[in-house]
Amino acid sequence: MSESSKRLLSLLMVLGAQSPEKALGSEELAAKLGVGTSEVEDELKRLVDGGYAVSIGKSGASKVYLTGTGVITASSTYS
Amino acid sequence: MLSWEYPPRIIGGLSRHVEGLSKALALMGHEVHVITLDFPGAAYEEESGSLYVHRVPVNLPAPTFHSWVLLFNHFFEKKVGQMAKEFGAPDVVHIHDWLTVSSGVAAKHMLRVPLVMTFHSTESSRSSQSQSPESAMVEGLEWWGSFEAARVIAVSSWMKTEVASLFKTPTDKVSEIPNAVDPEKFEVEVDSHAIREKWKIYNGEKLITAVGRLTAQKGFDDLIKAYANIRRSIPASKLLVVGDGYMRGELESLSNQEHVKDSTIFAGFISEADLVGVLKSSDVVVVPSRFEPFGIIALEAMAAGAPVVVSRVGGLAEIVDDSVDGLEVEPNNPVAIAEATVRVLSDGALATRLAENGRAKAKAYSWASAAKRTLETYQEAARVSKYE
Repeated sequence: MSESSKRLLSLLMVLGAQSPEKALGSEELAAKLGVGTSEVEDELKRLVDGGYAVSIGKSGASKVYLTGTGVITASSTYS
Repeated sequence: MLSWEYPPRIIGGLSRHVEGLSKALALMGHEVHVITLDFPGAAYEEESGSLYVHRVPVNLPAPTFHSWVLLFNHFFEKKVGQMAKEFGAPDVVHIHDWLTVSSGVAAKHMLRVPLVMTFHSTESSRSSQSQSPESAMVEGLEWWGSFEAARVIAVSSWMKTEVASLFKTPTDKVSEIPNAVDPEKFEVEVDSHAIREKWKIYNGEKLITAVGRLTAQKGFDDLIKAYANIRRSIPASKLLVVGDGYMRGELESLSNQEHVKDSTIFAGFISEADLVGVLKSSDVVVVPSRFEPFGIIALEAMAAGAPVVVSRVGGLAEIVDDSVDGLEVEPNNPVAIAEATVRVLSDGALATRLAENGRAKAKAYSWASAAKRTLETYQEAARVSKYE
């Protein structure tokens, strides 16, 4: 997993994005990471494809939240 | 008991430890409350006999992982306060590793009860003595917990020495209580044929299994390099890697580079029931860790009747008696891992002997025994605590 994917995964966890109600959009995540939205969207796609996150909502306005695997992976360097 | 992980939130051995210990204490008739973090799909409140699991959501965002840890401890403190009102103050508060030190210390002083801390790992060994500010903060919390605790528990002799050395904790304050297994969990009948089919292990292929977080500490890169060698001696074999983590992509690339991609299966996280089936169906379980304070997966594999090959590090070297109930190899040595694994896979008598002895050894590590010794430690903590 790339460093940017790790940062995004960790960010989703510390921001509490663990359920559909707490899902976050790419713009908000990009602002917090200080990177471009398209870069975050690419990373989010990788996380969703890898089973670490779930995407909800329409394309262009979608939001993501972590799966159980995402939560565990985000925590995995600290136990 | 305060723990950041409890099933189904299983990050590492800590989760299994807290589950096994809390269930065993509850079976002994004690009322046990586990405060832990919420997890997708898991109930916020669970009750089973006298065991209560309270899963706490973190309802505020944090900017970094380490500030998030302090934040969830804040919510743990609030939960402790609520529980004290509802159930009364506990007789002891038990924390696990640095992650719950701040809420544990707060609970100790707020409720005026003894604090016990279990060390499953230390930042110093986990991060190879990193000098980062985050590591310094974690080490500070570890010291604080060891200082505030009336009694400290270490999960292995190696860990006891580590704690005493790092934090200058008096050795008579530290109890060594190893992790354990639930033997009944491994006494179930499993359909090995179906399990092997599920993971595409066909036609008598040997199944080599490794389980754990896919992090540098676990040494799975060494195992994949070793597997390239193993395949030369035993081509009819598969390597099943169970678990997930940041290194997954790197390990998948490595298996490609080593030309073992087609015979290496990355299973990701699997259910506890599936894990039991996999361990019972494995021809060998390899634990190639570079550092392991205990290594509960080795004990689980032994309980499942699988021969084990483990690195000679930390708690693993204490669990396994080399050539008696498993084979030990030097860490960071793919050649040694390959040689030992091939020995087990090609010598049926050796594999049977190691498996039988391993199963017998695992029976000595019961949660009932660990709970009894933990209870004694609670009683000692109560005797020496300023709040008793």
